[in-house]
Amino acid sequence: MTGGAELQMLRETAASFAANELVRDREERDRYPFSPLPLDVLEKAHRLGLFSLTVPEDLGGGGQGIRALAALLAVTGETDASLGGVIFVNALAQEICLRSGAEGALAGLIEAESAPQALMALPAWDDPRITAPSLRAVERDDGWMLDGRAEYVALAGLALRALLPADTGKEGVSFFLVDRQSGGLGLSDPLVSHGLRACPIWDLGLSEVPGALVGEEGAGVRVFEEAYSRMLPAAAALAAGILRGSLREALEYTKQRRQGGRVIAGWSEVRMILAGMAMASQEADMLVREACRAVEEGYPGWRLAVRAASLRAMDLACEATTDGIQLLGGNGYMVEYHQEKRFRDSRQVQALMGAQDLKRQELARLLLEEGLPG
Amino acid sequence: MERPERRSLLDDYPAFDDIYCSLRALRRMPKAVIGETRRAVELARRFNREVVRPRALELDLRKQEDPDHLPWDLVEEADRWGFYTMFIPRLFGGGGFNFPALSCVLEELASGCTGIANLVGVHYLGVATLCSSWNLRLMNRVMRDTVDGHRNGKPCLISLAITEPDAGTDVEEVELVRKAKVSCHARKVKGGYLVNGRKIFISNGHLSTWHMLIAYEDLQHPETSTVMLAVRNGTPGFSFGRQEHKMGQKACPASELIFEDCFIPEENVCFDVRQGNAEVTPEEIERIIMQVIDYVVSGSRAGVGAFGTGVARGAFEEALRYAAETEVDGKLLVNHEWAQCLLAEMYKNVAISRLTYMETNYANSLYGMFKALNYRPVFYLMKLLPRPVFDRVLQPLLDLPAVTRLFRKIYFDWQPQAFTRRTSGWASLSKFAATDAGVRNCQLALEMMGRAGLRHQGRVEKHLRDSKLLQIYEGTNQLNRLNLFKCLIAPKVPQARVFEE
Repeated sequence: MTGGAELQMLRETAASFAANELVRDREERDRYPFSPLPLDVLEKAHRLGLFSLTVPEDLGGGGQGIRALAALLAVTGETDASLGGVIFVNALAQEICLRSGAEGALAGLIEAESAPQALMALPAWDDPRITAPSLRAVERDDGWMLDGRAEYVALAGLALRALLPADTGKEGVSFFLVDRQSGGLGLSDPLVSHGLRACPIWDLGLSEVPGALVGEEGAGVRVFEEAYSRMLPAAAALAAGILRGSLREALEYTKQRRQGGRVIAGWSEVRMILAGMAMASQEADMLVREACRAVEEGYPGWRLAVRAASLRAMDLACEATTDGIQLLGGNGYMVEYHQEKRFRDSRQVQALMGAQDLKRQELARLLLEEGLPG
Repeated sequence: MERPERRSLLDDYPAFDDIYCSLRALRRMPKAVIGETRRAVELARRFNREVVRPRALELDLRKQEDPDHLPWDLVEEADRWGFYTMFIPRLFGGGGFNFPALSCVLEELASGCTGIANLVGVHYLGVATLCSSWNLRLMNRVMRDTVDGHRNGKPCLISLAITEPDAGTDVEEVELVRKAKVSCHARKVKGGYLVNGRKIFISNGHLSTWHMLIAYEDLQHPETSTVMLAVRNGTPGFSFGRQEHKMGQKACPASELIFEDCFIPEENVCFDVRQGNAEVTPEEIERIIMQVIDYVVSGSRAGVGAFGTGVARGAFEEALRYAAETEVDGKLLVNHEWAQCLLAEMYKNVAISRLTYMETNYANSLYGMFKALNYRPVFYLMKLLPRPVFDRVLQPLLDLPAVTRLFRKIYFDWQPQAFTRRTSGWASLSKFAATDAGVRNCQLALEMMGRAGLRHQGRVEKHLRDSKLLQIYEGTNQLNRLNLFKCLIAPKVPQARVFEE
């Protein structure tokens, strides 16, 4: 568990990084793939250890827990959630490896010289428990071979390794590490996504591509279930950070912009919207804190608490960032004011690890199976 | 019951005439409106299938890559299909389709791409603004320019230039513009006006030939000094500035218009309340300016309601397509009960939104801008008279000042306030109800589809980006709620004051 002072130091480091590196050029970075990939920002984040925060210390990582990761993502989300997206995707891939008992899969990543070497690609918008992977894996004498198509793989054209779920036949879903430079692996053009555009995404085509099994064969569903329960608060934290950024921008704007002969914050309907956003922001922050506590303490019913709190925080971010544009009127719809980016980013985050409605169905299933605690 | 008592019961709040516009309108509606609306929808669906859907995503990407790109090819295509002239009355050389059918066309187009629907719809916002001046001479001149452009293969669109850097919401309401910081100045000079200032967020600005410019003679008192000027491209002192970089609706540019000592001759002055009416009081000026604004927004907000309905439908259709071909937990999503309920909810949002813009159009046909054209004898006269009668006999009459005076008498002086409140209130209701539903359906579709909806090719993410602007332009949805209150609720509460907080 991370101590209070340590957490505060992390927040300050992240805030300083965000102020120095993420504010500048965020509009241009968000134009990807119509602008270059922001490799310089990724390299600095890597050197700062932001891509290995939750990797155990004995593996060379930061050894931090979910609260620290959530704090980092909330701070980056407030300024430019795309970097938060990269951090989240990579951390989820690392978590899957760790939950698989495949610490070796992380070897070399931490000390890597460059961000592409340190990062792992992952189809982070999929839930392999619900949507069967379209990749097939067959074991040969010389190892596992993967065939098929993997859609919407975040960081695939950037990271040198990809962690991909595949169907191994009767044993079901398993995770494999694939070298991006393998022959037989084809990348689509970078996809144009709704949000988190500087967290780039590609489709992959695999034909006889060697893959290294991560953990046990057929353990994919169990492993993802564990990783999902532990990482949902991190995604929610990113959403809460976006929400906070939207509120901050709206607050500043409504204190400056004049209509009807006064600053618009003086109009009571504007105040009602501001109040709604502030309530949503505070609620989301509290939900994230509670979800993190649930993960760290593992109290009875913690998995239900994590899901309910995290999904709600994501919904709140989507609702409030819509108001965040509205309070800026026409300006809020223009890229220069960044509210439209937060609106898009919040939706992109909401769909992490599966469509929101499927996550709701999954929550209901858990509730029915395990009931309410106490 | 005696007649006065019955009348009193029906006038009780909510007044029968305020809430059942359709009941009254249907009886008076010419039957040919139905067939004509069918033809308009057929055309729009074919255009959607052959032009909008195949090009919408490509154009959106093109604009993301090059924000300064202008979609002239699409404008030319829409013009070839007749969309820029079909709703112009035959009196002015156009196709003469009934105006309410425009909303149906806009819903169809917006279900494919709201940005492209705007390329058509915003032109009619310009037309509506021009018509709200009831300056028959200029209406004839400008709309015939559009008709000539159609004949010559050179689209001639009309835009409305009203929003300013420091005045967005303010310019939609006389009570607000009184305190607004407006900057587009029209100084009266010999033979016309000299204009200086900037307009921003002007939809279709770069693509239009005529611009209905709202400017102010006295920047300290815009509420009593508003003028409407018709500015044609090429006028010295008028130029285009930048295009805004918007989140969505990328097909339709939002332009900056710059006026630097731009001289607008008297013959291009659409509307100036004092024109030939020097004795008019400030209160009367404010009433007439608000009347003009209400005529415009009563039509245009029904159109935005149709955009909202269309985008809600577009999102619904993509969600339905996805649900019908995607398996979840071993069976098609469309066969999961929760998905069926969700799709029903989305369908409901579309249907209710459509009802609101239809009801608004019924109100407009009975009490608003369309009322003369929808009067059965006028309607059929307009359909049946041969074109040469319009072109050779009636057209010269439109240049007579007396004709403009007569129409202004009818539409400004004889228009009961209750009529204006009814059309404007319903238009606001439709605007915010349908556009909120549009955003809502896009969100629901995304939550069902996950990454399939987030992909650009999935269309839903574009629908969502496009839909958000609908809650902002033509008055924010907050302003429209206030206008509904002002028009349909406040009359019940004499002590209620709006915009005076």
